[in-house]
Amino acid sequence: MAEAMADSYSQDSEPTTRTLLRRVLDTADTRTPQRRRSAGIGAQKSLLETPSSRRLSSSTKTNARRRSQRARSIGRLAHVQTSGHLEEQTPRTLLKNILLTAPESSIMMPESVVKPVPTPQVVQSSRQESIRGSLELQLPELEPPTTLALGLLAPGRRKRRLRLSVFQQGIDQGLPLSQEPCGNASASSLTSSLNLTFATPLQPQSVHRPGLARRPPTRRAVDVGAFLQDLQDTSLALASPGNSLRTPVATLPTDTVLEDTQPFSQPLVGHSPSVYHSLPCLSYTEAKDAEKAVSHRTQRSGPKLQNHSPGKPAQLLAGKSKKVDALAMSFPNTSSAIAGEDEVEPLQGGVGENAEERMEESLSVSEVKDTTGTQGSVRTDKSDRNETSEAVEAKEPEGSSGDENISGRTASPELASSTTEFLQARQLQFLESAPPPSTAILSSEPLEPLPTRLPPRVRTLGPRPRQDPHKTGLNHYVKLFSFYAKMPMEKKALEMVEKCLDKYFQHLCDDLEVFAAHAGRKTVRPEDLELLMRRQGLVNDQVSLHVLVERHLPLEYRQLLIPCAFSGNSVFPAQ
Amino acid sequence: MAPSTTVSQRKKIKRKAPRGFLKRVFKRQKPHLRLETSGDLLVHLNCLLFVQRLAEETRMSAFENKCGVIKKEHVQAAAKVILKKSRG
Repeated sequence: MAEAMADSYSQDSEPTTRTLLRRVLDTADTRTPQRRRSAGIGAQKSLLETPSSRRLSSSTKTNARRRSQRARSIGRLAHVQTSGHLEEQTPRTLLKNILLTAPESSIMMPESVVKPVPTPQVVQSSRQESIRGSLELQLPELEPPTTLALGLLAPGRRKRRLRLSVFQQGIDQGLPLSQEPCGNASASSLTSSLNLTFATPLQPQSVHRPGLARRPPTRRAVDVGAFLQDLQDTSLALASPGNSLRTPVATLPTDTVLEDTQPFSQPLVGHSPSVYHSLPCLSYTEAKDAEKAVSHRTQRSGPKLQNHSPGKPAQLLAGKSKKVDALAMSFPNTSSAIAGEDEVEPLQGGVGENAEERMEESLSVSEVKDTTGTQGSVRTDKSDRNETSEAVEAKEPEGSSGDENISGRTASPELASSTTEFLQARQLQFLESAPPPSTAILSSEPLEPLPTRLPPRVRTLGPRPRQDPHKTGLNHYVKLFSFYAKMPMEKKALEMVEKCLDKYFQHLCDDLEVFAAHAGRKTVRPEDLELLMRRQGLVNDQVSLHVLVERHLPLEYRQLLIPCAFSGNSVFPAQ
Repeated sequence: MAPSTTVSQRKKIKRKAPRGFLKRVFKRQKPHLRLETSGDLLVHLNCLLFVQRLAEETRMSAFENKCGVIKKEHVQAAAKVILKKSRG
C-alpha cells in the first residue's frame, strides 16, 4: 500500500498538488462557516504535512469508512448534498482541482474523468464527518485515480448507483455550465470544478452514447461468438473478421475511446496489417468477453465495457503504459461496474502481452469463456488465480456453455500469469476491488447459501420450542460439570453428562411426587426437597440444609430460602 | 467459606439458577403437581450438588484410567454410582 501510494505520489506532481491544496485550504478556511469544515480543513492541513504515514492510515480508514458510510441512508446524503452543496465540498473541490491539474502533468489522463465519479461519492461520504471527508479527499491525491475510483466505487457499488442518480440529476443540470471549465483547476471556482467533476464523466455517456445503457447484453454475447468464429475462420486469411459486426459498428476513430458504441471497433480492424489486426481483434474479443461477462452481472457495465473495448485495443496498440488511461476512461462509463474495469485492466495488459499466444487459442469460440475465466482470474487474483479463476468460471456459467469452460480455463491461467505484472502494479486497485468481487460473487451466488439455510429452519420449527430451551437449560449444568471437572472433556462425554442429567431430573421429579403424595399434598414444598436431600445423604445431622444453602447458593437465593429476622419484628421469608 | 464458593471465576460460571427451566422440566414431568416458589431454588441446589459429585466421580474414574481427558466411559461409570446414590 505504501509503495503504491508512494509511487502514485511520485507520479503526481506533489508540489503542485500540495501547493494548490494549501492555497485552497487557506481560501477554504475563510469560507467554511460550519465548524465541521474548519475541523476538516485543519485536519487536512495537518494531514498534508504528514502525507505518507497519514495517508496510508487515512486511506485504509477511509476505505472502511466509505463502506460504512455508504451503508448509511442515502436520503440523508442527498439531502445534505442539496443543502450544503458548496460549503461541504470545499475541501473536496480543492482536491478535485488538484486532481484535475494533476492529470495534466501526469500520463493518467482519465483521472479527471475518473475522479468525478469518486468525488461525488467522496462528497457524500464526507458529509457525515469532516475529518473523514478530508481524509477521503486526500485519498485521491495519494492513490492513483484509477485505484481511487476502484476503491470508492467498489465498496458501495449499488449504493453509489442510487446516490449517483441524485448527482446525475444535478450534474445534468450543471452539464451545460461545467463544460467550459473542463481544464480549469482553479481553486476559486469551486462550484465550477465541482460541476466539472460531475459533468465530465457523464458527458461522453450522455452526449455520445445515449443508447448504450439500454443495450441488452445478450446480444453482444452472440455477436462475440460469431465474431470469434469469424476470426477463427478468417484469421489466417486476415480477411475482415467482423463482417457481420462491421455493419452495426460505424467507423470510429481510435482516439475516441468513449465514443465507441459497438463492442468491436471497426477502425482497428480495417486499418492495421494482418498481425497488427489480429492483435487488436484478440484484444477486442477478450475485452468484449470480459465486458460481456461483466454485463452478465450488471447490464450497465455491459455498454460501458463495450465502450471501453474499442478504446482498449487502441491503447494496446499505442502502448501498455496507457492502460491507466483506458481504465480512467472506462471509469466514468462504469459507475457501478468497477469489477469490469479491473478485468479490463488485466485484460488489456494480458492481451498486449499474450496477444500472439492467444491468437491461436482465443480464436476459438471459447473466448467468451476465456474472458469470463480471465474475469474470474482477475477478480480473484488476489488469492489464487488459477484456483479462483476456475472457481469463478464455475460460478459464472451464465449464458456460457460448458464446452467453453475448458478452453477458458486453459487461457485463464495464462491470463493470470500475464496479469500478474499488472496486478502487482495495481495491488491497491485489486485490494479495493476485492469487496466488489466479493459482493459480485455474493450477488452472483445469493441463492446458494439461502436454500441451504431454509430447510434447516423448516425442520426445527416443530421441535424447537421443546428442544432448544431444554438443551440450553441442560447446557447450563453441563458447563458446571465441565467447570467442576477441571479437566478437558470430550464432546461425547458431555453428551453423556446430558443424558445423566435427564435421568437425574426424572428421578428427582418422581421422588418429589412421592414425597408430596406421602404428605398428602399436591404441591411440592421445600420440606419435600429437604427430605430428598436427607435421603440422598447430602443433609445429615452435622450438615443442615441451611448450611448447604449458604455454601452453594448466591446471596440473593440465600435470602429467599433462609428465613431471616429483619427490623420491625418481621421475618423474611415468612414461616 | 466453602471451597466451592471460592473457586476461581476464570471461566465465568453463571451462578444463576435457571428457574424457568427447572419449573418447565418439573411441569413436563409432573403436570398434576405444583412446585413452590423457593422450591425450584432448592432443586437447583440439588442439581448443583449432583453435578459436583458426578464431576468428582468422573475425575476419579479418569485418574484411575490414567487419562488426561475425560471420556465417555468415565462419565458412564461415574454416573452409575452417583445416580444410585442420589436416588433417594
